[in-house]
This record gives sequence, C-alpha cells and structure tokens, in this order.
Amino acid sequence: MLRRFLPPVLLGLILMAVAWHVTLVQTPRALMAAATHRIANAGSGFNTMTAAPLATSDSRMIVRPSPDLAYSSCPFDLSKGPVLVDVAAVPAPYWSLSVFDARTDVAFVRNNVQANGNPIRVALLGEKGGQAPPGYEPVPVKGDKGIALIRILIDDRARFPQIDAARQASSCKVLGS
Amino acid sequence: MAEDAIVDAVPPSHRTRFGLPTLQTIVIWVVCAMVGIVAGILLAVHSVSSGVFGSQTAIGPWTTGSDFGTADASAKTRAVVARRGLLALPASEARYYNAAVDDSGQALNGHCRYRISGGALPARWWSLTVYDGDGYLVKNDPGVYSIGSAALRPDEQVRWNVAVAPNKQPGNWLPSGNIDHFELTLRVYLPADGGSGNLERTQLPAITREAC
Repeated sequence: MLRRFLPPVLLGLILMAVAWHVTLVQTPRALMAAATHRIANAGSGFNTMTAAPLATSDSRMIVRPSPDLAYSSCPFDLSKGPVLVDVAAVPAPYWSLSVFDARTDVAFVRNNVQANGNPIRVALLGEKGGQAPPGYEPVPVKGDKGIALIRILIDDRARFPQIDAARQASSCKVLGS
Repeated sequence: MAEDAIVDAVPPSHRTRFGLPTLQTIVIWVVCAMVGIVAGILLAVHSVSSGVFGSQTAIGPWTTGSDFGTADASAKTRAVVARRGLLALPASEARYYNAAVDDSGQALNGHCRYRISGGALPARWWSLTVYDGDGYLVKNDPGVYSIGSAALRPDEQVRWNVAVAPNKQPGNWLPSGNIDHFELTLRVYLPADGGSGNLERTQLPAITREAC
C-alpha cells in the first residue's frame, strides 16, 4: 500500500511547493498590473499624469493610501519608446517622485530635499533602451509597464488648492509625442 | 520525460497486462497532483492574505520591514506588500510601522478607546493613520483619518497623545469608526539614519486600551 501511494503523494508535495512559490512570485506582478490598468482607466490612460484628489474612506485605487499626501500618478507603457516625466516644484514641505516597475521594485526615487527644491526631470527607458534627451536623467526600468508616482505632503488642508494648482504643471508623455 | 518518470514509478503489480498503469493508478496520480497544486495555491493565498504589512520585525505591538520596493525583498514580503501596501517607498525615503494589536497583544477594536502616546521621532516628519482590516481609510463623519507631526503644536512635538475611539474625544482624536478591527500605520518620512535601522521600542508610540 505504502509503495503504491508514496510516489504520487511525493509528487503532490513537490507540486504543492512549486505552486506555492509560483503563486507568491506572480502575486505582486498581478496586483501591480491590475493597479496600473485601474489607475490608467480612472485617469487619462497610459503615459499621462493624473492628479488625484486627497484620499478619503471612499478611495479604493490603492490599498493603504496616505490621507496626508496628494498623489499624482502616471501609469507608463514604454513599448512605444522612452517616457518623459516632469515633476514641478510645489510649495509643500515634502514632495517626491518614485518610479515602480512591473515587479513593484523601485527604479527611482528622489525628494525635494535631494533635488534642492528644483523640478525633477527623468526619462524612463524600457527594455528597448533609447536615449534620454538633454536635461533629463535616464532611468532604466525592467519591463514595459509601471507607475511613476508623485507624493506631496499636505500639512494643512487649507493650502491644498494652492498646491493642487501648482502640481498641475507636472507631466508625463512619450518622447517625441 | 516527466510522464516516463511517472510510468516508471508505477509498480508492475499496478499495471495492465500491456505494461500501462491501471485507470485507478492514473486517477491516484492525477488526484495527488491536483490536490498538491490547489493546496500550494491556497496556502500561498492564505499566507499573503493573513500576512501583516511589514511583518519581518516585531517591536512591541509594531511590525516593520526595511526591504520594501527593493530587489532584496523575499517573494513573500513582496507579495504581502503588494497586497497590503502597494507602491510603498523604500526605507531611505520612509519607514512604515504597522500595529494590529495594542501593548497587551489584544487586537485593536474599533468599539474601544485607546491612548496612543509618543515623543519626537528622528525623522523629517511622521504621520499616524487608522485603517480598516482591508487597508482602507475608516469612514467617519468628520473625515479625520490621520494625525501628523506637522499638525502638532510645538509644545506637543516632544510628548504627544492621541485618542483613538469611535466617539469624539478631547484633544487629538482619530475616529475608529466603530468597526470591529482596525490597524494603525505610523509613517516615518526621511528617517535620520537613512532607514538603515528600526526605531526602538521606547521611541515608538505606546498603544494603551483605556475603555471598551
């Protein structure tokens, strides 16, 4: 009896370990892909910057949103070439740009302190490569899709309209478009 | 190749006269394989669903991790962060401390009143936010979801108290919305050590249940 059942049970255990690992590895990619498309559908599509309203209890775009931050996001698709991200300086005590690839790894992050309060300009380069135009810092990204996210600290909600107006100058577009 | 290996592993007594495995044997192999695959997927889903955001290190009631968004993150950390806090910043930019229990180890209950007390933190600024079990902001009438160092009076910066309760409280108040279970997330932005180390227990806020 043992001789009959041991091999298939061992196979089952091996497949269980493989399925467990594959599921864990694929979960971030699946959730990131879903979030990227969700943000693109809620905004103006891929390769455009969308300024979201401040998070409330009704916000479901991402989990664990910070109510202290104003988010502007650019779901990018590098299959058509490099994407240029321009982040305008805003009158807030903290703001930053972070770029996440399809695997949820951070490809780039910089805040206003590191940028000395100056605008941040980066060129996102995908697997096909390409060159960053003058004035833009090249940022290699694994895979074609991901999210560039601007965070701005809103320490006083009364100042949000002023900051909201200033952040509209930030942009995201395919090189040459 | 794999099929050959499976056929080879079948004892002669469980093969037909043509040397092929019997239907019963094939069914046993297929069932074991399918049960294994389904069990592996379910275990992984459960592991991610029950995983706590930033659960690598426990410091009192707080849990944290320092490899969010990096290639060093393990498959499980990466999956839990994607499920519980997608687009989290790397440690150099922000540290995330999450609490699902109070100082005595009891789950945070939205029907109870808690006192969160802390001091100055070695960072540029910090904020404390109340989330429901799914990681979303808790619905409440005044629309208050967090409190941050930027909103505290200068005399409060070194020693502050926040009441987390369903009903309005004097002083700093974070509504818990009368939900069964809530979580607290402390975000510490631009930590003084560049995110290389964890805050110590004495630096992190105390979470005391006062009434229920």
